[in-house]
Amino acid sequence: MAERCAVLGGGQTHHRRVRDDVSIAGMLREAAERALADADMDWSDVDAVVTGKAPDPFEGIMMPELYLTDALGGTGKPNIRVHTAGSVGGSTAVVASHLISSGVHERVLTISWEKQSEGDTTWGLSGGRSGGTGAGGAFAPYMLRYRENSGAPENTGFRVALKDRRNALKNEYAHLKLANLTEEAIKESPLLWYPVHRLESCPTSDGAACMILGNEKAARAHSKPVAWVRGTAVRSELGQFPGRDPVDPQAGRDCAADVYRQAGISDPRKDLDCVECYVPFSWYEPMWLENLHLAPKNEGWKLTMEGVTELDGDLPLNMSGGVLSTNPIGASGMLRFLEASMQVRGVAGEHQVDGASLALGHAYGGNAQYFAMWVVGSDPD
Amino acid sequence: MAEQQAPVVMMEEIVSLEYTTLATDVGIRFMDCLIEGRIIGHKSKQSGLVYVPPKGYCLMTGSPTTADDEVEVSDHGVVTGFTIIEPIQYPGQEETERYVQAQVLLDGASSALGLCRIQDIPFEEVRAGLRVKAVWRPPEDRQQTIVDSWGGRAISSCIQHWVPSGEPDADPASIAKNMY
Amino acid sequence: MADILDLPRDVAIVAFSQVPSVAQETRTEAQMLVESINGVLEQSGIDRREIGFTVSGSCDYLTGATFTFVQMLEATAAWPPISESHVEADGAWAFYEGWVRLLHGDIDSVLVYASGKSSLGNQQEVMSLWLDPYYLETLGVDMFSYAGLQAQAVLNAGKGKESEWAEIAGRSRRDALSNPNAQVRGEVDPAELLREDYLRGPLRPHACPPVSDSAAAMLITTAEKAAKLGVEPVYVRGIDHRADPHYFGVRDLSVSESARIAGEKAAAKAGFGPGDVDVAELAAMYPHEEQILVDALGLGDGVRLNPSGGALAANPVMVTGLLRIGEAYNAIRSGSARRALAHAQSGPCLQQNLVCLLEGGNG
Repeated sequence: MAERCAVLGGGQTHHRRVRDDVSIAGMLREAAERALADADMDWSDVDAVVTGKAPDPFEGIMMPELYLTDALGGTGKPNIRVHTAGSVGGSTAVVASHLISSGVHERVLTISWEKQSEGDTTWGLSGGRSGGTGAGGAFAPYMLRYRENSGAPENTGFRVALKDRRNALKNEYAHLKLANLTEEAIKESPLLWYPVHRLESCPTSDGAACMILGNEKAARAHSKPVAWVRGTAVRSELGQFPGRDPVDPQAGRDCAADVYRQAGISDPRKDLDCVECYVPFSWYEPMWLENLHLAPKNEGWKLTMEGVTELDGDLPLNMSGGVLSTNPIGASGMLRFLEASMQVRGVAGEHQVDGASLALGHAYGGNAQYFAMWVVGSDPD
Repeated sequence: MAEQQAPVVMMEEIVSLEYTTLATDVGIRFMDCLIEGRIIGHKSKQSGLVYVPPKGYCLMTGSPTTADDEVEVSDHGVVTGFTIIEPIQYPGQEETERYVQAQVLLDGASSALGLCRIQDIPFEEVRAGLRVKAVWRPPEDRQQTIVDSWGGRAISSCIQHWVPSGEPDADPASIAKNMY
Repeated sequence: MADILDLPRDVAIVAFSQVPSVAQETRTEAQMLVESINGVLEQSGIDRREIGFTVSGSCDYLTGATFTFVQMLEATAAWPPISESHVEADGAWAFYEGWVRLLHGDIDSVLVYASGKSSLGNQQEVMSLWLDPYYLETLGVDMFSYAGLQAQAVLNAGKGKESEWAEIAGRSRRDALSNPNAQVRGEVDPAELLREDYLRGPLRPHACPPVSDSAAAMLITTAEKAAKLGVEPVYVRGIDHRADPHYFGVRDLSVSESARIAGEKAAAKAGFGPGDVDVAELAAMYPHEEQILVDALGLGDGVRLNPSGGALAANPVMVTGLLRIGEAYNAIRSGSARRALAHAQSGPCLQQNLVCLLEGGNG
């Protein structure tokens, strides 16, 4: 890489089911102004703006970044809009980091969002036709297959949901805050897409996430700790083809191997201090543990059941409460990348992992076919 | 004093757009055959794989396929994956009751069809490996419709649903690589 | 703010393939892309597995469905998995992302592609949905109407005349006669065109773009990789893109500040400016846009404008900008230009502009 890249600041909105107190532009500025303040920067310090969100029909605005140019201080600057399905928040951060690591710019603002309350996501996904099942319907067969292949007990999913919902109570920005939950209550919640219960599923959220990325010069000049981007990777595969394993997609395995190689990680289970990954339905925790080379095949659930992924466990996973607690779709990937950066900067507050110095941010999308990841560290090498 | 009205915070603006999707040559052929009660695919010369519905290209090699590559596949197959759906309500949704949605690998095809509805079996007995067969709509009810990339709408306009065929379950190993 | 001018390596276009623009294409976008992508693979002789990064541009609202780029991915035969990304924008912005990616030096080749079928929906309505949803879109201003506002601003500023617009439209259709991929072509008498009724005053039909469907693909590589492939490179000497404010009321619609900045920034990287090129391919959908851009970029009489016929002859939205880069590449490859400029735009009334400066291998 020609240049090092670091996260100088981050910000997010208070995520809610409906943010009817702000317009889309107002919501984005809430996240962006927090990120700029964290980076000790002003709008005029930004060289370029990189935006990302999930499909435009979700809010009924075509290429909304055009209308948002003014609100995001984009006048006279390059503006790029990324869209790679559910992984988009992650891919957007990757594209932004490339503007720094290529040497093209010194400081880049990157932001992702969804305002689901201003549209109807299930309608958008189904094109307005009957029979739409949402993402849960698409992923449920893979979770069921995983459960059968691995022999994992039914309550693996409940444990994941309990943990993420408990972590969310420590995150001031999280959307769903469900205290005093029990495995029993999760099991009793409606079975929406067998084997997935409502309380094992992500909510519908309004929200935005923003990061300020800078080159080494900008990072060294910053008075606060930064998160050094140690590696970035994206991978895609087709959603449906003969021989595909949608439970443990090759694209995810390749993407993780690539980002670990760049970060100099040979044993991710040992080297990573924490992982923030895209788990929209509880069973995806054990599935991604395996896909990310953090557990042997069909054994990811054991880490969950042994408490390894708890906030005080050996490999904390989804310290923020994860997608299960907050899901502004387009921003959900960037929130993972942001949380990873907060951990290694030591600014995660109540959900901080003590001494975290190397963290993975992960996002996926489409038919479990698009992947974006980065590894960030408290040290540049 | 009149009762104070709540402030307006949201207004509904429905955006309505019409799109016309042109039928492709391969789509028309697939649809015509469905109306005759036959399911066809394209067998790629390069990879030997059979795609249902045919797309006019081979996904694994990027080479075009043509009418010369047409093959017929069976209307019997095996469930490779499934879920039971509790329908979410939204404008345009007509489903209200729980149903089984499955991927079905047809005999002779290389990858599974998505969005197949399985009936005539209790929910708790649905499983990967279950052998099923198509229940065709009466010929007069079969409708021309859009052939989308996965073919689901075209198929459901001619095939009502799928039911157990009574054949013994498939060996799990035979479908391990064909979930999708 | 800082722009770093000393960028490390030479990036070159080595292959370009497009599907002819037509008013209504029956094949799917993925089918068109299979043809385009296979076209660049054949031209360059590269094996698809060697390609380091793939990036594309398209727009869900043109197709009228969500995640439409997922189906387009099928045209790449992405197995084993590929390193890939997508912009919800014209393919020219995908090209920009590909250029950025090649600067890193860890990969040597990028496949860029774009597709769009404007024929599927009502383009006038669809292209109003990128206006501010709260204050502008609700006014019901369609695509030709806001273009008409800008045309009127050009007239009022004395920067263009309706007779000049007819001349530009005539030139475009005449040039398109020698472009087999163009859609609107023919010898026309500009005086005849001026007898048309207004579509949206002051725009007459001849001063508006056609509805077009197309797809295109391009391979860009490092100079070393181009040499290895044994193909003649056309170098990307400078590229930049900038945005103007969205709201029509806060900018002078008769000028393009963002195109001017993009041109200057691209020139600073290239070491030569827009005025130094032999050919300029501008994504001007209307003659008045061409006049605004000629002004903003400082294109003199010596610059041949849109020899392909330009966007007035074929306007496959989301592909139009990538086609300009491809046609500028073609002009250099054919020997009709040593240096060329390609331009792309996005948003209502030229809101975003991209400028790319190309130079032949012997330059």
